[in-house]
Amino acid sequence: MKPTKDDHAVVDLLDVILRDGVILQADVIITIADVPLVGLSLRAALAGMSTMTDYGYFEEWDAAQRQLARMPDDHPLLPNDE
Amino acid sequence: MGDPTFDEGRYLYCVVETEDDAELSENGIDGEPISILVRDGLGAVVQPCDSPFDSDDLETVREWLVTHQSVIDAAGEAFGTPLPFRFDTILKGDDDAVREWLADQSEMLDSHLDQLAGHWEYRVGVTWDEERVRDELRAEDEELADLRERIDDASEGTAFLLEKQYDNRLHDLREARKDGLTTRLRDELDPLVAEFDVVDSKGGVLESDETEEVVQVSFLAHEDREEEIGRVLDDVAAEPGVEIRFTGPWPPYSFAPELDA
Repeated sequence: MKPTKDDHAVVDLLDVILRDGVILQADVIITIADVPLVGLSLRAALAGMSTMTDYGYFEEWDAAQRQLARMPDDHPLLPNDE
Repeated sequence: MGDPTFDEGRYLYCVVETEDDAELSENGIDGEPISILVRDGLGAVVQPCDSPFDSDDLETVREWLVTHQSVIDAAGEAFGTPLPFRFDTILKGDDDAVREWLADQSEMLDSHLDQLAGHWEYRVGVTWDEERVRDELRAEDEELADLRERIDDASEGTAFLLEKQYDNRLHDLREARKDGLTTRLRDELDPLVAEFDVVDSKGGVLESDETEEVVQVSFLAHEDREEEIGRVLDDVAAEPGVEIRFTGPWPPYSFAPELDA
């Protein structure tokens, strides 16, 4: 068989294109806080989609909010507003 | 820390080997023109920009990535294997600054380009007929047959537990078959490829739908090996129920070096 490069194949490659490629660590490139760029919004969007769902952050956050809501107002874990 | 802005920058697609006055007709991201800045036999494929390409709209990002790929692809077709830079790599300064960088780093860039010359990234995805695989495993494994017999004779509660065991055994056998397939690809392709990687298929965030591919691998290979590799894959695909998707040649994204330059 021969390798193909149709549109479908390119779509499958997008994650590779985003993640891989030559990484340049040098003063000559634009960085944010010394981290080579992938735009901040993009990074946040990707983190939101992969990391947070992978590690179940939303579930944990949700569970924590529910537990907080059930706590009495004078619970020792809540800030004291004296 | 807000959106970083800068007066002048050059979005860097790739570096290729080329002489003076090279040109590409391809359009860059957002339809902007691209240019090839040449110094010392090296060409940097760039487009001017004054902020990073950044969006939380993944559809927009997909379009950018497709453009990123098609520009690098066109450069590869015109000048041979490129050094493809990661998306959103932006050099500070104007065209002259890029040329200066090429001159500064020419030795290092040359050595990487020489190493990669004629080599491309290829990717292989294997799908199999799930029903068929399960039927075959059931037919050939004694432990499964034994469990099935015991389930048929058992009380309801015991049968439930035995079913669990049965499912676990089937799952393990299926995993073992997957590993066997991966090992076979690795062993048979090994003499033909420069580098070989098993791809973690869960990692993607941009792919439109879940893949059904049970094994995915990528490798770096010389273009002259393409036919032999194709024959190896034909052999694997000749097994009943097995299908193979073979894509490439791509710029060597997954096998690109990290440059401290």
